[in-house]
Amino acid sequence: MFARFSFIAVFALLASGCANTSPTLGSKSISYGDTKAVETVTNEFGSTDLQMIAESMTRSLAQSGIMQGRPVVQVYDVKNKTSEYIDTREITTSIKTQLMKTGVARFASDNNAMQSQVDQLKLQNQSGLYKKSTVAKTGNMIAAKYRIEGSISSIVKRSSDYKDVFYKFSLQLIDVESGLAEWMDEKEIRKTTER
Amino acid sequence: MRFKFIAVVALALLAGCATPPPPEPGSAASKVVAMGKLKNIVVGAMRVARENGFMTVNAQMSNTSFNNKTFYYRFAWLGPEGFPVAEEETWKSQMMYGEQTSFIQAIAPTAKAVDFRLEIKTP
Repeated sequence: MFARFSFIAVFALLASGCANTSPTLGSKSISYGDTKAVETVTNEFGSTDLQMIAESMTRSLAQSGIMQGRPVVQVYDVKNKTSEYIDTREITTSIKTQLMKTGVARFASDNNAMQSQVDQLKLQNQSGLYKKSTVAKTGNMIAAKYRIEGSISSIVKRSSDYKDVFYKFSLQLIDVESGLAEWMDEKEIRKTTER
Repeated sequence: MRFKFIAVVALALLAGCATPPPPEPGSAASKVVAMGKLKNIVVGAMRVARENGFMTVNAQMSNTSFNNKTFYYRFAWLGPEGFPVAEEETWKSQMMYGEQTSFIQAIAPTAKAVDFRLEIKTP
């Protein structure tokens, strides 16, 4: 009886000794990193470039003083004039998010979201499925006072020893009624790889 | 005599280990958070202004070396209670030529920011 009890006790002790007390699971070669770290894995367009552009443009626009009275703005996609694939929608999404957090602007449905907006209005007004008092009325959408558009271009130079990439990001705020560009800014980034 | 000598040496060692006095509150030095010892990079005068409601900081940076040096920096924006009022900024890399003095500029992401900290690190 004593021997059986001792065996169970030793087994329990061993099992608890082997238990994983760290709140992690899986391979030690995988780890979470700092999303705000300077990324220099290659000299192609990277997370740091995206973050720096969005940060710089948003703050310059917010501080310019043009966005008085929280105007309604429509954001257009950034034109990618570089030779590499860049998800430019992520740049505009970041700029839009940061401006929204700053509280200086309101945003009208952009080109990509417009179809969903129209579909929802049609569904509410034409399907007869919804209680009339809760249906969103048509003809009440707010038109944008300004539109934001931009572009990113690059100059790439290579030699046997160097690869130099120069990015130029431009963004402008245009008054829809007058067509005048009311604000504009640029962000330049140079990345050089020495072989 | 021997005891006196040991006491003097011990005092000298203790004085050497003493931490320098903390920077005065509100001074430029009190706004700098260096991650480790800064190698050849010196943070100089800082100018703070408010433009269209947003806090703007201009900090003078100097490279004391003859060689080009890179440093990493970012600003943290604080509210009246001393807590961050925006999410962490992305780290930026800045290259300075040998013996160069230049400025880094930053704009607060929100008008709520009333104070800041400059986080800086040299590789």
